[in-house]
Amino acid sequence: MAQSNEELIASVVRQLMKEINGGGAPVAAAAGDGGVTAADYPLGMKRRDLLKSPRGIPFEELTLENVESGKVVFEDFSISGEVLNFQGNIAASAGRTQIALNFARAREMTKIPDERILEMYNSLRPHRSTKAELLAIADELQGKYNATVCAGFVKEAADVYERRKLLKGDLPSTD
Amino acid sequence: MAGTKRSKRFEVLESRPVHLDGFIGEWIEVGLYAMGSPQDPKPSIRIEGGKVVEMDGKARADFSMIEQFVADYAINVKNAPEAMAKSEVEISRMLVDINVPRSECTRIFTALTPAKIARVMDCMNIVEMMMAMQKMRCRQTPANQAHVTSAKDHPVMLAADAAEATYRGFKEIETTVGVVRYAPFNALALLVGGQVGRRGTLSQDALEEAFELQVGMRGLTSYAETVSVYGTERVFVDGDDTPWSKSFLASAYASRGLKMRFTSGTGSEVQMGAAEGKSMLYLETLCVMVTKGAGVQGLQNGSISCIGVPAAVPSGIRAVAAENLITMCLDLEVASGSDQTFSHSDQRRTARTMPQFFAGTDWIFSGYSSTPNYDNMFAGSNWDITDVDDYLALQRDFKIDGGLRPVKEEDVIAIRNKAARAIQAVFAELGFPPITDDEVEACTYANGSKDIGDRNIPEDLKAAERLMKDAVTGVDVAKALAKRGFRDVAESIILMMRQRVAGDYLQTSAWVASDGTVYSAVNDANTYMGPGTGYKIPDDRWEEIKSIPWAIRAEDI
Amino acid sequence: MQINPELLEKIVTEVLAELGAAGGSTAAVATAAPEAVAGIKLTEKGPAERGTDPKEVVLAVSPAFGTTFKTTIIGLPLAAVLRQVFAGAEEEGIHVRVIRVYHTADVAFMAHYAARISGSGIGIGILSRGTSVIHQRDLAPLSNLELFPQSPVIDLPTFRAIGKNAAKYAKGESPTPVPTNNDPMARPRYQGLAALLHNKEAGFQDRSKAPQELSVSFE
Repeated sequence: MAQSNEELIASVVRQLMKEINGGGAPVAAAAGDGGVTAADYPLGMKRRDLLKSPRGIPFEELTLENVESGKVVFEDFSISGEVLNFQGNIAASAGRTQIALNFARAREMTKIPDERILEMYNSLRPHRSTKAELLAIADELQGKYNATVCAGFVKEAADVYERRKLLKGDLPSTD
Repeated sequence: MAGTKRSKRFEVLESRPVHLDGFIGEWIEVGLYAMGSPQDPKPSIRIEGGKVVEMDGKARADFSMIEQFVADYAINVKNAPEAMAKSEVEISRMLVDINVPRSECTRIFTALTPAKIARVMDCMNIVEMMMAMQKMRCRQTPANQAHVTSAKDHPVMLAADAAEATYRGFKEIETTVGVVRYAPFNALALLVGGQVGRRGTLSQDALEEAFELQVGMRGLTSYAETVSVYGTERVFVDGDDTPWSKSFLASAYASRGLKMRFTSGTGSEVQMGAAEGKSMLYLETLCVMVTKGAGVQGLQNGSISCIGVPAAVPSGIRAVAAENLITMCLDLEVASGSDQTFSHSDQRRTARTMPQFFAGTDWIFSGYSSTPNYDNMFAGSNWDITDVDDYLALQRDFKIDGGLRPVKEEDVIAIRNKAARAIQAVFAELGFPPITDDEVEACTYANGSKDIGDRNIPEDLKAAERLMKDAVTGVDVAKALAKRGFRDVAESIILMMRQRVAGDYLQTSAWVASDGTVYSAVNDANTYMGPGTGYKIPDDRWEEIKSIPWAIRAEDI
Repeated sequence: MQINPELLEKIVTEVLAELGAAGGSTAAVATAAPEAVAGIKLTEKGPAERGTDPKEVVLAVSPAFGTTFKTTIIGLPLAAVLRQVFAGAEEEGIHVRVIRVYHTADVAFMAHYAARISGSGIGIGILSRGTSVIHQRDLAPLSNLELFPQSPVIDLPTFRAIGKNAAKYAKGESPTPVPTNNDPMARPRYQGLAALLHNKEAGFQDRSKAPQELSVSFE
């Protein structure tokens, strides 16, 4: 189980970034990712054309005037999954593979509401959840949010918590 | 003792401040040992099918959760055989050899086991570590971060101090609380005050993890730092987290477009009574690797709140420099501590900071106290505002860019007053307990909370609770400021909110310039390869550093 | 502030003894028998139960509180500490139920456990060295109502105020938090020693032992 999740994560990583071993030259990002590399950084200055709010308002229009008129609201100041993908590519092209994986999880989380993310985080804390409860969260991540990387990560945690006795009920004091 | 004749010399020596410091002997069995303990594991690695099956003498089935996480996420298994085959001395020499580029060093370091990394550090003396820091820090241009806190959690004073701090050059500011329930107001005060002092300031509120994320999600803070990780499973669990929960949290921050770094430090495990007999630096190496594995861009370390522990044992301050260096070698942003009191001796506390100050780090202090230390609710920083002119003199003496600039009294008064009026306006517009003109005046001219009156604390706390319940956001704050005539401050807050959309400051070691440009290890990578390379202080910056107002100038006489 | 030389000497002696006895050393085990401490008698009465009395706060003390350790880091007798907390709460008509926690020596978790089994939902945690927390049942474990992290600056009036404020929270009031003393130079002086003390106390921890109800009698 854990093995297959790690393979899945590995494949996602490979897909997301061209892994650089041996300190070679940055590899161009895959087509469909806007061809974004470290050369396009910072996007907020060099590639504003790629940036918009989750509901599609262009970056240039995220202004105080538009906030005052009500055209732009708080929710517009949120990163989109697409931009996290760009930033993941930039990190990977600078050789930072783990950051790219972090952003891959983050990209999936953009679809999850604030409250639910906080609840999931609290459930992942030690001695908070049974294994079944963690696996249910993994199913929810996969089924409801199509969050494959996150689901694999939570399943992996469930296995580790079981082996290391970090589940709910593993302490005399948890009730 | 009575009747023993004392040496006057020794009586004088014993009255010196250094004798107020706590010094304790090494205690190997519990891990009261800085670095290179005889009980630290011996380096080893065995890889089967692309997976680490043995690390530092331990089989995979026996891995703690931390070891499993590190083995699976923080070690490049392709490069590991090559890297682990090198001797520790050979690797340490790469760090100080100007002909070996930084990228080659990180390629090797990201393929080492924790025990190997800890041993490499033990090959180096403090000067070699400084040479290595100069080359290995991620970002070329050094920067500095301040603590902004108040013993009274006074929102007006916090806003004024935040403005002064950022005006003096601190690019990031951090607060925490005396009373936890004041936290939302502290975040608000830093958000507003920080932008008054310098547009582009990153601010954060150091608190319980879930709360910190919540205020970040609302746009009241722009980054998080006190996301702690530990080097033994027991202490990690006592910290109420695991590498998986912390990684999930890290991704949650990124998913909301918020910058974040983890925090760790030598001594935390032994301080919590569960170091399992390992040296402080070995355990800290695991923390750095957990950070790396989580895909977090950076780490605050340098013992931090536990500094009294390594500082009490032999080679402890050297270990603190080593932990900063490990962070850099793993290609992570480092916020290098010096943020907590550890000594009564001015000599010791200056010396402790010099390796990071001279070599330069991403954030030389991860909390220079911008207030007098009696107001520092992190229990005091190694340097406080009272020392700031000494700091400016040191920058000038050694031609070092320590991130700060000389300022004029009248300018600071003006900036504090504006920040106090801005937070007054926000409170009025959002219906929080009123801020009087007298409070604005007092906080404009005050040095610390002893110079100002008390707020009605229960009323403030109720309003702070309401701020959270009503989900007040950064956008609401910007609107309130604009409506009350603080249009430029409102624009600054919108500029920071836009950072969440672009995500540029999620990259390694980022800070935001006043025009909104993000500088990080991506577009300001460290290129040091010996004299004449790397960071050079620009001419205008050197003029600024030189111009301490109290220097006597020939042309004035 | 003066360091307590007796305490220091005692610890140093114990540490040296332990270092000397390395090899055959076994983990220290706290005894369940009544311990006579100067001015105070703590007797374990069995596992701590969840309370229903809304007029109680539960105080959790650390594994070696009052047994191996008899004073705080600055030498305040733990008997006096308990007396002050009790007195502060009683002024508000609230009584204090005391438990000893073995499974953790982390003051936040201790206090949170106390809050969870407290009839009022309010708990206090106090470590032997003096570090204290007032906690509430529905908060996250590492959050708190009031935290007193710097053991060297907590004096007896502060302990009394902690008892009083905990009682006020139990009654549903919103008291002004106890003013926190902030001594930036406490860390340089005491942190190494605090680590030493904590390692001593952690030796009495037992991950598998449930919290025990204590009867407290002052002599």
